[in-house]
Amino acid sequence: MTDYEVVIGLETHIQLNTKTKIFCACKADSWDDEPNTNICPVCTGLPGVLPVLNKAVVEKGVLLAKAMHSDIRMRSFFDRKNYFYPDLPKGYQISQYDLSLASGGYLDIPMPEGYTRRVSIHKLHMEEDAGKTKNAGNLRLIDFNRCGVPLVEMVTGPDLRSANEAAQYLIRLRQLLRWLGISEADMEKGHLRCDANVSIRPKGSDQLFTKTEIKNVNSIDNVKNAIEHEVERQIREVEAGNRVHAWTLDWDEEKNELRKMRSKETEADYRYFREPDLLPLDLTQAWLDEILADFPELPLERKSRFISEYKLPEYDADILTGERNLSDYFETAVQQYAGDPKKVSNYLMNDVLRMLNESGKTANQLKLTPAYLAEILKMVDAGQINTSTGKSLLEKVESSGRSPKSIVETEGLGLVSDDSAIRAVAEKIVAASPKEVETFRAGKETLIGWFTGQVMREMRGKADPKLATQILLELLKK
Amino acid sequence: MELCDRSAHKLLELLRSKQVSAEEIVRSSLQRIAAVDGRPGSLESGEETEKDRQSVHAFISVAAEQALDQAKSIDRQLAKGEPVGLLAGIPFSAKDVFCVKDTYTTAASKILANFKAPYTSTAVERLQKQGAIMLGKVNLDEFTYGSSNESTAFQPCPRNPWDTSRVPGGSSGGSTASVAAGEVPLSLGTDTAGSIRQPAAFCGVVGVKPTYGRVSRYGIIAFASSLDCPGPIARDITDAALMLQAIAGADPRDSTAANVPVPDYLATLEQGVKGKRIGLSPDYFQISYMDAESGEIHQKPVQEDIRAAVYHAAEVLQRMGAEIIEDVPMPNTRYGIPAFFVISRVEAASNLHRYDGVKYGYRTPSAEDDLRVMYRKTRNEAFGLQPKLRILMGMYVSAAQYSEQYYNRALKVRALLRRDFDQIFDPLGKYRLDALLTPTTPTTAFPIGAIYGDSVLMQYADQFTVTANHAGIPGISLPGGIAADGLPVGVQLLGPDYSEHTLLQMGRSLEIGTQDEAWRSQRPALTLRW
Amino acid sequence: MSEEITPEIFNHLVTLAALELDEKQAAYLRRELNQQLKAIHELEAIPLDADLKVTTHGVSYNLANSPALREDTWLPHPNPDEILAQAPQVDEQYIIVPDIPHEKLD
Repeated sequence: MTDYEVVIGLETHIQLNTKTKIFCACKADSWDDEPNTNICPVCTGLPGVLPVLNKAVVEKGVLLAKAMHSDIRMRSFFDRKNYFYPDLPKGYQISQYDLSLASGGYLDIPMPEGYTRRVSIHKLHMEEDAGKTKNAGNLRLIDFNRCGVPLVEMVTGPDLRSANEAAQYLIRLRQLLRWLGISEADMEKGHLRCDANVSIRPKGSDQLFTKTEIKNVNSIDNVKNAIEHEVERQIREVEAGNRVHAWTLDWDEEKNELRKMRSKETEADYRYFREPDLLPLDLTQAWLDEILADFPELPLERKSRFISEYKLPEYDADILTGERNLSDYFETAVQQYAGDPKKVSNYLMNDVLRMLNESGKTANQLKLTPAYLAEILKMVDAGQINTSTGKSLLEKVESSGRSPKSIVETEGLGLVSDDSAIRAVAEKIVAASPKEVETFRAGKETLIGWFTGQVMREMRGKADPKLATQILLELLKK
Repeated sequence: MELCDRSAHKLLELLRSKQVSAEEIVRSSLQRIAAVDGRPGSLESGEETEKDRQSVHAFISVAAEQALDQAKSIDRQLAKGEPVGLLAGIPFSAKDVFCVKDTYTTAASKILANFKAPYTSTAVERLQKQGAIMLGKVNLDEFTYGSSNESTAFQPCPRNPWDTSRVPGGSSGGSTASVAAGEVPLSLGTDTAGSIRQPAAFCGVVGVKPTYGRVSRYGIIAFASSLDCPGPIARDITDAALMLQAIAGADPRDSTAANVPVPDYLATLEQGVKGKRIGLSPDYFQISYMDAESGEIHQKPVQEDIRAAVYHAAEVLQRMGAEIIEDVPMPNTRYGIPAFFVISRVEAASNLHRYDGVKYGYRTPSAEDDLRVMYRKTRNEAFGLQPKLRILMGMYVSAAQYSEQYYNRALKVRALLRRDFDQIFDPLGKYRLDALLTPTTPTTAFPIGAIYGDSVLMQYADQFTVTANHAGIPGISLPGGIAADGLPVGVQLLGPDYSEHTLLQMGRSLEIGTQDEAWRSQRPALTLRW
Repeated sequence: MSEEITPEIFNHLVTLAALELDEKQAAYLRRELNQQLKAIHELEAIPLDADLKVTTHGVSYNLANSPALREDTWLPHPNPDEILAQAPQVDEQYIIVPDIPHEKLD
């Protein structure tokens, strides 16, 4: 039996999170709207009206192109892609064809197995989204709300080698999009859509074989699932001596199966030509500088810096760079704290992340600011509070918004470091425990722990344990 | 002379000096329409009658009530001494590709017969803002595809007021006919290959094709988006200047409406032509056209009285102080039409994609359970032959395998045409022209039915006008005489980008220089009958 | 001169254009297409410089005269219902068209 290699390229459509659509002033997000309410003459293709490009779309597109290491074209063009479909009101989609916003580029995908897959970017362009259609018996219902929502289409080279790699690509892309703040990247809401081109070839071959295209997959799990199904099907076909046809397939999520789309629907000559209703898009150096002025450190770069600079374990660094707010939070807290970054990491990974998950907040929305977290850590280090008080303070700060110090003061949570107060209790304990004193003095010095415990109990945990031990030793060794 | 035969600037004078009211002006226009227009174009026109053959048929729809209401409101403002707009009380018609909120905008096609735009085109909006009153929508070739108005789905088609057996030209033929017939002093047209200037010449009126992007295209049903220019049609240069003043300028709703300040066209209108350099090119005095049967290219000089009219205009301008430069080479002129056959079709086919029976307009009444069948039936039943022809050609020449051979080559030829103009207008070049003076058309208005159906020959009526659309430059056509056949002759002035003020100034000089010539007092036959 | 647009090519174009034509229309349109193509072939005689710059518009635009891009500000259309009211078939806010059937993959 032949061994097969899987060859996958992904075509992603990324919905940019601008306020308005790409060519008209309707709002971009219609998630909660009734059908055909967030529309205007421009996005519904009424006769005579004209597109006007949204500046923010270009800016977000440039950020993505930069992050993908693409070459940004100082002059790019919009083109018309002509085809008939009821969700495409003008009968053409305004897209970019041969001279799009950016060319080339790549994204490195670290795989859980330890290797890194470099995925090349073949195409990166801006375009408008089409509407939504759904079936009802032998009718199709059309909603134009989504028409004109800004998209970046990004197509990878045939560089992915398994369904799992495809899934990892999407996970990393999603992370990046959110990191850049250019897309909500929620696949379930269609902010990030993916078509997969899948083919197989005998291991060792470097030819590309006939591929199929899987459309309409709306979660990372489904992408993985659909590709796995399709790879199995292609292997079955080839093993049975059949040919793989260049079909377009539709993933039916409910039935967990692939359906073939009508070949006529996919047979197309789009007759691209320059969109005469728009001028060439010229980026000036000044505008480009402005857009890229706050370009952030990217997640993978930051992860390796966290490892080298803060000596974090890879596991911690990966989690702490999963999301930009969390990662910024961590770094601010480390700076404010000025102690061991691993301690900050521990608090974040164990406690703060749980708080985030439970509340649904992002790190920048916490009332427990990085400065407050640093304050708590410092108090623990200074022995002003003990570790468990420190942990309980996290919730208290978050729910009240008050500073840790003021909570410690008003609630009396601070450790007693007053020599005389502790001395009084220690003297009392020593006087009341003649047997234990004798045993200690006979040489069982480990009993000091018991004495300290007694003092702590007496003082309901608020004594500074180091000081208590010191005083006890003094009294016992007299 | 009735009120409706007066120019807009004369009417404004009368109105502001309170000698007439806006209502009287509008009533005069409505009376003229009632007298000469005949029945309006409709989808079910039935048999053509003798009366049909003697009427203008410029209008598809007339909004008499709204127009009178607006006129009364202007009169009230004037009575109260309130400020009014530049064109307050002046009636105009709009080619039925200009969308106007809550009125039908048909593009003279069955596919849009029931379309009511929920918005108003910028050009109409700006005229209305200046107090101009829209009397109605006028006929055109279906989707502007033609040079005679015969292809409208709304029959009877417009006829030439000078001779109703002749075409008014096209595609803005309803516009020019309505102005020539005294129905309105002003009309909005669009010009993609000559669609303002050619019918203006045929009807003996002034037509201005502004620089591409000088007037916003927002709200105008598109033919070829890279070539379409909305512009004024009027009875004299001053009126055209007034109208252009109202409609020109950048528009945030049109990305191609250039951000170039609009000069005061009236301020420079009377400044004369002294020192202006005006060129004549032999390439604009002969047409190259293809014989339909043999496919051979024939060269043919323009009609003699047209040539004579242009040379006469040159003499007049020279007498008034202009310098005439002859033998200016414009070697690529003859390629304007073949390049237009390609570029305009590619854009038109794409622009017509949206008419599919889904969102608005016509949908086939036959119940269909397959979307694709619905598309085909709808488009077959509701598009006339001319849109179909343009769609098919556009599909062919932009197909992936042919687009280099045809579309990209045509674009390069367009660049050559532009270069021809750049060279003669270059202020440091050999010719340093302020304008090129040419015939607007190779012939006067041709008889109805004479050319219709021969799509190639029909297009060659635009040979001298299409070059300005390719190059994007402005051009105006104004009356230059009456030919032996009793029909008006148009002369054309072409100038560099945004030189409308200069062209209008030259046109005005030509008007002044010819004001005592006999032909200037001739009126269209039809307006004399009433 | 042989016909460039053969009946086969013509029928393909008709399909692409989402049209269907009766015989008389088809004959007229195909004849006119071939005539126009003859005129278009005139363009092949023109020598073209390799450095000839092609633009979408004849008139030249530059940074100074190009209109600004649109700011990302929401301006809802006042009456989307007027848009919907133009549609030939609407039900519960949806525009209705016939379906295109799918095929199941075996």
